[in-house]
Amino acid sequence: MDDEFLDLEAELKRLRPSAPSPALLSRIECQLRERPAGRTATSAPWFWIAALPAAAAVAVAWTVFFHSPSKSGAGMPAALVTSPTRVVADSPMEMKPIAAENVLVSARDEGLVTLADGTEARRERLHFVDTITWKNPRTNASLVWTVPREEVRVVPISFQ
Amino acid sequence: MEEPPNHDTWKNWFQLFGPKLLLCARQWTRSHADAEDVVQEAFIRFWRHQRDLPGEPMALLVTSARRAAFDLVRREDRRTAREERHVDGAAETVACFQVSLEDDERRAAIEEAMHRIPAEQREVLVLKIWGELTFDQIARELNLSPNTAASRYRYALAALRRELTSADCHG
Repeated sequence: MDDEFLDLEAELKRLRPSAPSPALLSRIECQLRERPAGRTATSAPWFWIAALPAAAAVAVAWTVFFHSPSKSGAGMPAALVTSPTRVVADSPMEMKPIAAENVLVSARDEGLVTLADGTEARRERLHFVDTITWKNPRTNASLVWTVPREEVRVVPISFQ
Repeated sequence: MEEPPNHDTWKNWFQLFGPKLLLCARQWTRSHADAEDVVQEAFIRFWRHQRDLPGEPMALLVTSARRAAFDLVRREDRRTAREERHVDGAAETVACFQVSLEDDERRAAIEEAMHRIPAEQREVLVLKIWGELTFDQIARELNLSPNTAASRYRYALAALRRELTSADCHG
């Protein structure tokens, strides 16, 4: 900075800005005191929006991974017998399934097999990834459930 | 730049930063009352959410105050009835600086002269002298290049000196 301005700068720096009014101090004091109530009110909805889908995900995971196969019946994998609609209907979130998608990841031809009645059949092993999406129309919260699935198809062969 | 107070109470912090922040906020508001509203909002936000952040407190406070001032102006623009009640800044009687018994005439002359220099120069001058920000910080705050901030500062000092000389001549 030029020397010509040094004196002026020094003079300006000696001026002290006016203090805010006592009324402003009181207002700040009041606002800082009422903080806890305000914070609870504003943060609660976000907590529930985040917590409810998480709770639903835990419920689905519990059903899928810990449900006993003997209770599920038919020797099918647990994932196949779990009813997403029932799980969602039980939840308090009013979640509705809005999309279901099955993606075929791989397919393997395991060749000919002989069935119990002596007929020939071709066995195919397919791997899918199933994705089901639920949405709560009221809050727009969504839950996406993705699970791998293996499917074995036995197709009888007729040589006639 | 002054160090933050050791005592971790909002009153100590406000005593240190409040007056400077009020002067900075006054550059972006239409009245002293609006500037106090802006300072209140900025300081509360700073105290609750920003005081543990790295960086210089005054720079954070200035950013917060400027944002609050612009929000206030936008809200006020939508209320034409209140606009009419606004007092023009230059006509306000609230002194921007502490009244000094020994040389109050000079303080008043400087305040008047500051009102007459262009607003974009005045805001850089205030942020540099009383906000104690660097040219880099001012440039970031006002979305300018550091060179432009430095130029405006020089123009502001030159204009201020011209105004003061002119006032001295006219007695």
